[in-house]
Amino acid sequence: MGNCLTGHAADDLSLLHEEPDRVSERLGPPPPYQEAAPVYHLSPNQRRTVSQLTEEEQVKIAQRIGLIQHLPTGEYDGTKKARECVICMLDFQIGDALRYLPCMHTYHVKCIDDWLMRSFTCPSCMEPVDAALLSTYESR
Amino acid sequence: MTTGASMLLKKQLKEMESKDGTQGFSAGLSEDDDLFKWEVIIYGPPDTYFEGGFFKAELLFPQNYPNSPPKMRFVSEMWHPNIDKNGDVCISILHEPGDDKWGYEEASERWRPVHSIESILISVISMLSSPNDESPANVDAGKEWRDDYQGAFKRNVRRTVKKSQELL
Ligand SMILES: [Zn+2]
Ligand SMILES: [Zn+2]
Repeated sequence: MGNCLTGHAADDLSLLHEEPDRVSERLGPPPPYQEAAPVYHLSPNQRRTVSQLTEEEQVKIAQRIGLIQHLPTGEYDGTKKARECVICMLDFQIGDALRYLPCMHTYHVKCIDDWLMRSFTCPSCMEPVDAALLSTYESR
Repeated sequence: MTTGASMLLKKQLKEMESKDGTQGFSAGLSEDDDLFKWEVIIYGPPDTYFEGGFFKAELLFPQNYPNSPPKMRFVSEMWHPNIDKNGDVCISILHEPGDDKWGYEEASERWRPVHSIESILISVISMLSSPNDESPANVDAGKEWRDDYQGAFKRNVRRTVKKSQELL
């Protein structure tokens, strides 16, 4: 039991990026067995609209956005080693807006920012982004 | 988001079409030409009781793919600890990441947007060969796998293999 998570167990932040109703429509109604299954709680994951978020959650989202915006960005100029964004699987084109994570992995800004709102880790190496970010600040 | 998702799916579809199936599966869109709905055939891995089976499954992608994982459900009848009786596949890489703050270790096994359709299918094939018996989605199959592998488990799996061949 417990290996199979029910429906959408992402944190609340994902609400900003999808319309849950449309997703569940696409995936069909959850099969009845899920109703009795335990929900895996890493974080509160009741589904609410953004306006129903508590003040604390709104602060958390604002903080997360702030942290993401502290990560360096740049434009692809064709000289860097990284050539492909592994999220969208497309090659970087000259002029693409890139974001550099502390682990040195590079993605399109539009590809990585959505992910970082869900999980503050690098999707390639799983390095937690906030820890690295904080230590960078401390060492200054 | 939606256009990003369709572009990524289209790209993977193209790559999939250029493959010859030697990696143990074939994949393409379901009949209705909906990029978000795929049909896959998993070939039962050699040297397992699943060998010889052609197991049909569907992959349903959410609009915000690849930030969220697809769901995978076998249409063919399956007998496996990590596939529930509706055919839903329960493996960690198809689970939403949740919040990493409390589950960093766990998070590494969960969905990440860098997983491709191919990497999902490879994980599913490896799951067929080596089930995770800590948390069976099909409790009976889990019990049999543990206690009566060469008896009841084998019998039930071989039955599904035979059935999958008849449906071809
Ligand atoms: Zn990208
Ligand atoms: Zn990284």
